[in-house]
Amino acid sequence: MRKATATIPVTVIGGFLGAGKTTFVNHLLATGGPRTAVLVNDFGEINVDATLIQGHDGTTMTLTNGCICCSIGTSFIETMCKVLDAEVPFERIVIEASGVGDPWKIAEIALIEPTLRLDRVIVLADASRIAALIDDARVGATVRSQFERCDVVLLSKTDLVDAATRAAARAAVLALRSDMRIVETTRDSLPTLASLDAPGKVSAFRADSPPVDHRETFRSFAYRRDGAFDRGRIAGAVAALPPELLRLKGSCRLDGEDAPQVFQMVEGVWSLSPSAPEQSESGIVLVGVGTRDLPPPSVLDAILDRALAAGAVS
Amino acid sequence: MNHDNVVYSARNIITMNPSRPTATHVAVRDGRVVATGSADELCVNGARLDNRFADKVLMPGFVEGHAHIMEGLMWKQPYVGAFDRRSPEGKVVAGVPDIDSIVSRLQQAEAAMPDDNSPLYAWGFDPLHIGGKMLTRQDLDRVSTKRPVLVVHASFHINNVNTATLELADLLHATDISGVVAGADGLASGELQGIPARMRLFRALGHNPLAGTITEADVRRYAASSCVQGVTTITDLHNDLNDPTIEVYRSVTSQDDFGVRLVPALAAVSHTPEQAIAKLEALRQQPSAKLHYGIVKLVVDGSIQGFTARLRWPGYHNGAANGLWYIAPEELPRLVDKYHRAGVQLHIHTNGDEATEAALDAIEAAQIAAPRPDHRHTLQHCQMADAAQFRRMKNLGVCANLFANHIYYWGDAHYELTMGPERASRIDATGTARRIGVPFAIHSDAPVTPLAPLFTAWCAVNRVTSGGRVLGRDTEALTVEQALAAITVDAAYTLKMDHLVGSIETGKYADFAVLEDDPLSVAPEKLKDVAIWGTVVGGVVREAPRA
Repeated sequence: MRKATATIPVTVIGGFLGAGKTTFVNHLLATGGPRTAVLVNDFGEINVDATLIQGHDGTTMTLTNGCICCSIGTSFIETMCKVLDAEVPFERIVIEASGVGDPWKIAEIALIEPTLRLDRVIVLADASRIAALIDDARVGATVRSQFERCDVVLLSKTDLVDAATRAAARAAVLALRSDMRIVETTRDSLPTLASLDAPGKVSAFRADSPPVDHRETFRSFAYRRDGAFDRGRIAGAVAALPPELLRLKGSCRLDGEDAPQVFQMVEGVWSLSPSAPEQSESGIVLVGVGTRDLPPPSVLDAILDRALAAGAVS
Repeated sequence: MNHDNVVYSARNIITMNPSRPTATHVAVRDGRVVATGSADELCVNGARLDNRFADKVLMPGFVEGHAHIMEGLMWKQPYVGAFDRRSPEGKVVAGVPDIDSIVSRLQQAEAAMPDDNSPLYAWGFDPLHIGGKMLTRQDLDRVSTKRPVLVVHASFHINNVNTATLELADLLHATDISGVVAGADGLASGELQGIPARMRLFRALGHNPLAGTITEADVRRYAASSCVQGVTTITDLHNDLNDPTIEVYRSVTSQDDFGVRLVPALAAVSHTPEQAIAKLEALRQQPSAKLHYGIVKLVVDGSIQGFTARLRWPGYHNGAANGLWYIAPEELPRLVDKYHRAGVQLHIHTNGDEATEAALDAIEAAQIAAPRPDHRHTLQHCQMADAAQFRRMKNLGVCANLFANHIYYWGDAHYELTMGPERASRIDATGTARRIGVPFAIHSDAPVTPLAPLFTAWCAVNRVTSGGRVLGRDTEALTVEQALAAITVDAAYTLKMDHLVGSIETGKYADFAVLEDDPLSVAPEKLKDVAIWGTVVGGVVREAPRA
């Protein structure tokens, strides 16, 4: 079922209107690596150096550095399918989400489309107005939802505000999620995707971000084994996990099966799906997030060990 | 008078022209109305008398101010909605009011298909109409365990599929995706919505069953449905108008036997204002009697029954979170201003009253910045507007096209779940609009609800829900005369076509709805049952198909 092609990393760029998404996209196009496809909402705002443009047919702009920029136009699904069906697969796909949309709902494509994997969700926030937008009566809920599952926030236009405004912007974003990673930027100091990579970050799988509640402190948990799970024993083990473990996700092997699987559990509901071949060469790696009352790792390890196939070495 | 005149006699002609409200005869030449009057007045100078409508009642052809070409596409597939519906062939397709009868209709359709595992699509399902019950993959597995079976909801936003489809699309275990609903067993229930799940579905099937090029056959099916319902002018109120569609519309509407005037609205979402304005300018260079461009459609929020409409305080009656902005309230004034300055007529979808407020704010700002007489920007659906908002519409020159069919189809849900008693009573407030003097039409949004203007008029007159509850009849109901105006000349007004269609009077197109009975003499609760013989469009007589 899964194609033998390498999986393509997908980066989703979200943020409310005026947050600087297009400026960032322009920057990525100009600095982009080879064979990057960038999907944008509005072509009119795209502004790359004319010497970079190799061709332009109204819906797709081809750049000399190997990137293409596609206008989402009529149908996101159609545009995305065109990119996925390119004769030579792209090496990276960057998607600009709608200013009133939830970038996570675009990012989920990369979790189920076999040739894709989710790189990260980046949300831009205008330092001069994000604090007000978060509390806005009409659009506050829309804006807040954009941050729920993003990996990094680019706080834009920080050179245009005073220190107090910048601090207030940071505080407003951190109040949504205390674990939020914020990178301050200006028009002249935008990061590249590579420079955003946190050192030592495990990228073979992605743990869902915890529910939004800044008053809560979360505990993380990691489970690693060389063996394989017995498919029939997983349900029993998951049922025994304490409710304080909110999410658990990662890759695992199943006894008697070759393909590695992505395991996901959210509040007791779990699933297995085939994972990309390049992911997880080892046995079992799961990462979880729980509340502050999460039992110690040894307790959780013991429960999950019950799902191991007989004879598995732990 | 000219000897080429054809004079039709009729039992009665309801002209909707206030200067001559009724007549017994109408003279037609070159596809237009010469005059209405008596036999003595019109049968002169060699005019030919045609008595074929002598026992019929003529009205101006109905004007459906909010419908979609999708109505012409859906009938290729089995219908599984809860209410009876008439097909383009004129056949009454019975509603299927429970899961078992839905499954049984799908089984019949499946049995008639070749044994090639090609997908079976169906449409029109709404769980709110069958006691909140959802179709599950297990239900649809009774139809087929081999071929994909997909049922699209009446809202067009949700699909229910069988297990074979979930397996094909690799979605059976993907319940961590927000659009993949989990069933009791932890696996996908078969209910799919949202972009990721839909994209996976279409990729697995190899195509999107609701996308693709519109064909002449689709447009002709739309015209056939129009004829069956007495409609002679119909909108296609949200279309990307890509080049193949433009060509199909041009070609089919230029044929003499094509029997409806088509009014497409360009979808703003797929264009920048500059592109849309340039496109409309080019399209309007080729004037055509049966194809009328000029409207741009903006969609501000979602739907009330889907809890995606944007509401002002106190929000949804059942406490559901507020809905979605499809255009941000701060973006709307910029868009409205550009189209307004370019002379474009805007039709703005606003279901909830917060969306209506944002649209009115934007139009007010545009009017202050660049005053423009007679713009006729129209709020589409505009279901929750209160009296103060209708007063603003009046003062700003804004029209409304109210979704009267909602009263019947979702009125109970609005009373119990979405709006609560007070707001549900004034939903689609035709009475308020009249008292305040806002020009308004009423509509079906077909295929979301059935295309049938006399039924739409019946809804506005009787204000009764499918469950039998009466909603605000004392204050918001229309008289039959008023309701008939709202499906003819007033609907034409919202399209800026009231100088061409909407009444039977000198100079206008000879577009008639030919009725078997007189809507002004039947009991108001029987208005929807007045049978339609067919239409006349530009003087061409067309008997509606019956099956």
